[in-house]
Amino acid sequence: MILALVVVTALAFDFTNGFHDTANAMATSIATKALRPRTAVALSGVLNLIGAFLSVEVALTVTNAVVKIQDKSGAPKAELLAHGGSGLLLIVLAGLVGGIVWNLLTWLVGLPSSSSHALFGGLIGATVAGLGWAGVNWNGDGSKLDGVVGKVLLPAVLSPLIAALVAAGGTWLIFKVTNGIAARFTERGFKWGQIGSASLVSLAHGTNDAQKTMGVITLALIASGDWSDTKNIPLWVKVACALAIALGTYLGGWRIIRTLGKGLTDINPAQGTAAQSGAAAVILASSQLGFALSTTHVATGSVLGSGLGRPGAAVRWAVAGRMVAAWLITLPAAGLIGAAMWWIGHLIGGLAGAVVVFLLLVAASVAMWLRSRTQQVSAENVNDDWDARPDAPVAGHSADTVLAESAVTEPAPVAAAN
Amino acid sequence: MHNFGFALDGAWRVLVAGLVLGAGLPVLFALGIRSLAWGAGEASVNSSGVTAGTRRPLGTALGYLLFAIVVAGVLLGLTFIVASGFGNKLSFEHIYPTIVPK
Repeated sequence: MILALVVVTALAFDFTNGFHDTANAMATSIATKALRPRTAVALSGVLNLIGAFLSVEVALTVTNAVVKIQDKSGAPKAELLAHGGSGLLLIVLAGLVGGIVWNLLTWLVGLPSSSSHALFGGLIGATVAGLGWAGVNWNGDGSKLDGVVGKVLLPAVLSPLIAALVAAGGTWLIFKVTNGIAARFTERGFKWGQIGSASLVSLAHGTNDAQKTMGVITLALIASGDWSDTKNIPLWVKVACALAIALGTYLGGWRIIRTLGKGLTDINPAQGTAAQSGAAAVILASSQLGFALSTTHVATGSVLGSGLGRPGAAVRWAVAGRMVAAWLITLPAAGLIGAAMWWIGHLIGGLAGAVVVFLLLVAASVAMWLRSRTQQVSAENVNDDWDARPDAPVAGHSADTVLAESAVTEPAPVAAAN
Repeated sequence: MHNFGFALDGAWRVLVAGLVLGAGLPVLFALGIRSLAWGAGEASVNSSGVTAGTRRPLGTALGYLLFAIVVAGVLLGLTFIVASGFGNKLSFEHIYPTIVPK
């Protein structure tokens, strides 16, 4: 029964992972109108689905990067297996809830934050609460890039910088090269440039991120004794995860797409091509070189870079600042939620504890969804001018803020800052 | 802080690969667009009206050649995604990429 809750929660996380990250691949294509919004999310959803099925490699040891609840083969630690694995299941459940709640909260305020970091944060928090500080793999064992520092913190700092440099360089050169060419050549060419590179990012996202949830669910199945093979993943887990991430992607996190495509900087097709190919190249190169980076951080960095590289373009640093702030607090915030959930589940105990944790998640999700309804961002208004609608989803603005009022309170567009 | 060293080592490699592929290929793509535009000739406006430009086949051919290089780069990316999904990785040992088990 607890297992069923964990599986449902993991799929829910996979779903939020999908719609949270649609923006990474498609925000630029949508903002430059290379693809219509609905077409873009449908394309990205299908590619995520294909990507999820392409990954036959088992990502069972995904939690090993940050916490010590599994051994090297992927089997759960023996001491967590008492009472049908309920110790491990509660940690995983609480961690997933932490990740989901943080994903929804950042979506509500329209900020792209890393779903993997939210998941890791939730797991770290739940592990600290359940096993103490020693249960967390803080710094690895020194043989390779590992642990919270090596797998989460350092890549988070470095990836936006790398992506921004690549995209800024690309944008600057592209503008040099295409300067003075008739628009009929550049518009059509860069439209395809964007679609191609965005598709690569979507596919890579499907193979990487769906795998994480597959690994977590399989871990839970092993802990409860319903699965024993650490080399393979049950087919239904694979199908369910692929569908969850694809559906989430198709739903489209319009608030985040809007922030990334319109809020950070105003992009044209050439910039979109540079940003998205920069992102695709950095994501693929980093996973080839064993230095996996967060898709979200890379995509955001490259959009920012394309704003820096285009002569005369302005970056809205206030928006960028809010994003960086969200990244910094993702890990601790998701961790706190994860830890709180573990304590609640633990104090109530047993099945009842897990049910209460699950119900808290449902309540929080419904509350945030209702809150989002008061100020909807959808396929219809995702491309509205950023400065003309300062009441668009921005942290701290109340739903009933009237346009005129918020136009006064909103800091002036940072056109002069560049 | 051994992690810090590993991270910096990984970071500069990713940066170089990112610049070559992520900025280099789009620039080739842009050059391709430029060649196509040059190959199509430039229309000029003068007193006798609009004159269509003369076509330059060389520019068109060069443009498509550059696009082909870019497509090859994209295919390399695709190969990598599929290969790593199946537990393989790309090896650049022989300069040209080959698929080897991880």
